Amino acid sequence: MEVGRLPLSASQRGKLISAGYTTLASLSSISPSDLARDLQVPESEAFEMLKVAKLGCGLEQPDKHTAIVNGAQTAWDILNEERLLPRITTSCADLDKILGGGINCKEVTEIGGVPGIGKTQLGIQLAVNVQIPVDCGGLGGKAVYIDTEGSFMVERALQIAEASVVNWSSYSELLRKESQACQVEIQPTDILEKIYYFRICTSTEQIALINYLDQFISEHKDVKIVIIDSVTFHFRQDFEDFALRNRLLGGMALKLMNLGKKYNLAVVIFNQVTTKCTEGSFQLSLALGDSWSHCCTNRVILYWNGDERNAYIDKSPSLRSASASFSVTSGGIRNSASKHKRIRVM
Amino acid sequence: MNPSNLLPSQNLTMGCPVLDRCLGGGIPCNSLTELVAESSCGKTQFCLQLTLFAQLPPSHGGLSASSLYLHTEFPFPFRRLRHLSHSFRSSHANLILSNPYEDVYVHAVHDAHHLLDIMPKIECFVASRKTRLPVRLIVIDSIAALFRSEFGNNPLDLKRRSFLFFEISGMLKLLARKYGLAVVVTNQVVDFMGEVEGISGMRVGNLSSLHSSGRRVCPALGLAWSHCVNSRLFLSRNEEIVGRENDGLEDDLCRQTRRRLDVVFAPHLPPSSCEFVITKQGVFGVDR
Repeated sequence: MEVGRLPLSASQRGKLISAGYTTLASLSSISPSDLARDLQVPESEAFEMLKVAKLGCGLEQPDKHTAIVNGAQTAWDILNEERLLPRITTSCADLDKILGGGINCKEVTEIGGVPGIGKTQLGIQLAVNVQIPVDCGGLGGKAVYIDTEGSFMVERALQIAEASVVNWSSYSELLRKESQACQVEIQPTDILEKIYYFRICTSTEQIALINYLDQFISEHKDVKIVIIDSVTFHFRQDFEDFALRNRLLGGMALKLMNLGKKYNLAVVIFNQVTTKCTEGSFQLSLALGDSWSHCCTNRVILYWNGDERNAYIDKSPSLRSASASFSVTSGGIRNSASKHKRIRVM
Repeated sequence: MNPSNLLPSQNLTMGCPVLDRCLGGGIPCNSLTELVAESSCGKTQFCLQLTLFAQLPPSHGGLSASSLYLHTEFPFPFRRLRHLSHSFRSSHANLILSNPYEDVYVHAVHDAHHLLDIMPKIECFVASRKTRLPVRLIVIDSIAALFRSEFGNNPLDLKRRSFLFFEISGMLKLLARKYGLAVVVTNQVVDFMGEVEGISGMRVGNLSSLHSSGRRVCPALGLAWSHCVNSRLFLSRNEEIVGRENDGLEDDLCRQTRRRLDVVFAPHLPPSSCEFVITKQGVFGVDR
């Protein structure tokens, strides 16, 4: 930034430039008395000018939170930021590939599918994977799991946690061959302790919890993922007013999106499917209607392809539509074992 | 709350180690389990057996609890329950002191709205603890019958119907959660017509298709209801010719019914299956 763009009077700017102070950097290390002598102005005026120049400097630093209020972020900054963002792996390499490396932080990802396709399994897997230690390339965070359907089974979570611990320790053993890093033993029960579990029984509770989440996460800053399994269940009951339902859902999505941005965490929402009648033929689509489909950044649909579970990127601003197969094993979500071509680009 | 507080989770035994192994310990509490089958596959037998085994102490896989049996099909099989409870009592003589069928509460339900109406009453009943043993098991046999008459096959009725599904299931899950209940509902099947590949490519659960009595079937009440249950178990029967019996006059085919239990989907179970037989003493799994 140049001196010419500082909010000073024209005569002051002229004096600065004619005395050779053209950039802010040249003003940064000068004392008010030196500046007063150079410009031949009273010392108090020089002091004021330096204060303005300092403010101008502050504006330029992108990591200041005031930047969002005072001016927009440039796309370049956002790109750099995004490159540094870690992603949460799904433990299935093919699925990660079509997701661009995993579930993105700061984004709302919606995942839908028929019952029994593995939505809850994927949810539990993500709640465990967010805890992958930083040395193993993970986030080392905690998870918030909001269960509206009662499908979260602790034995299953423990099972997946046990399998993951084995994976992590074999990975860090590989790392240790190169550097003698001391390894902290992680117990599967520690993993369960880092999942904050909420069981929701009515739609009112659900709205209240989403409102409370902001406070909860501000107290637990290490939460890196919020999982809602599923957002739909309590909203498919008879609502007297459907416009109200859509407003409530929209508000909820907005809050989740803000949460993701503010605390730099991933939001994963599970949705159910329904049949939609279009022009006489029935088609499967995700529940909650059209206005809801605008609420999420990414949308992934899980479906059966023969005997194989598949995932398909239905909507995303940055990913190409592609599908990949995955399988649910005793240890969690893994690559599909079949010999088929595993990733298809649409 | 941390999930580790929930460990160990409670299960209600099916009353047979083979079946329990197939279901990872039995029917989970805090959860809604559905038994899907055509008629005469043993849905009611399973339910009756569960009401008896719920009375066992936790050390024997039970819940030390009484149960509430909501039946929609008439009449309630009292005689079968008495038979079962006699043999149950003699095999667990040291654990069960009173008459087992005194701890099974039976209530008739006529349709979906009736069920919603009595739901507050059910909650009072469960909460009141006026029963000798606390109520920890609710059985609805069968859920499909509640929706049989009232709803037509037009979009408006179907929409109303699916709202009711979510309402009923929401309430049942709330009860299950609040009082640590195991909830079991039974569902009927409908014949499957159409393409080989499900309804417009739709497939629910581990099995690509469900077969019973040589026909292809799918669970009643459709997709919306399948979102309402936590686990779905499928019972099927198939006649099998095991040999020929020749008594001189007629050539008789000796038939045997093979019954199977399949896990269609469950959040805590891998796809698994198990064969079972129904005897005078109850339902038992068979290792094969």
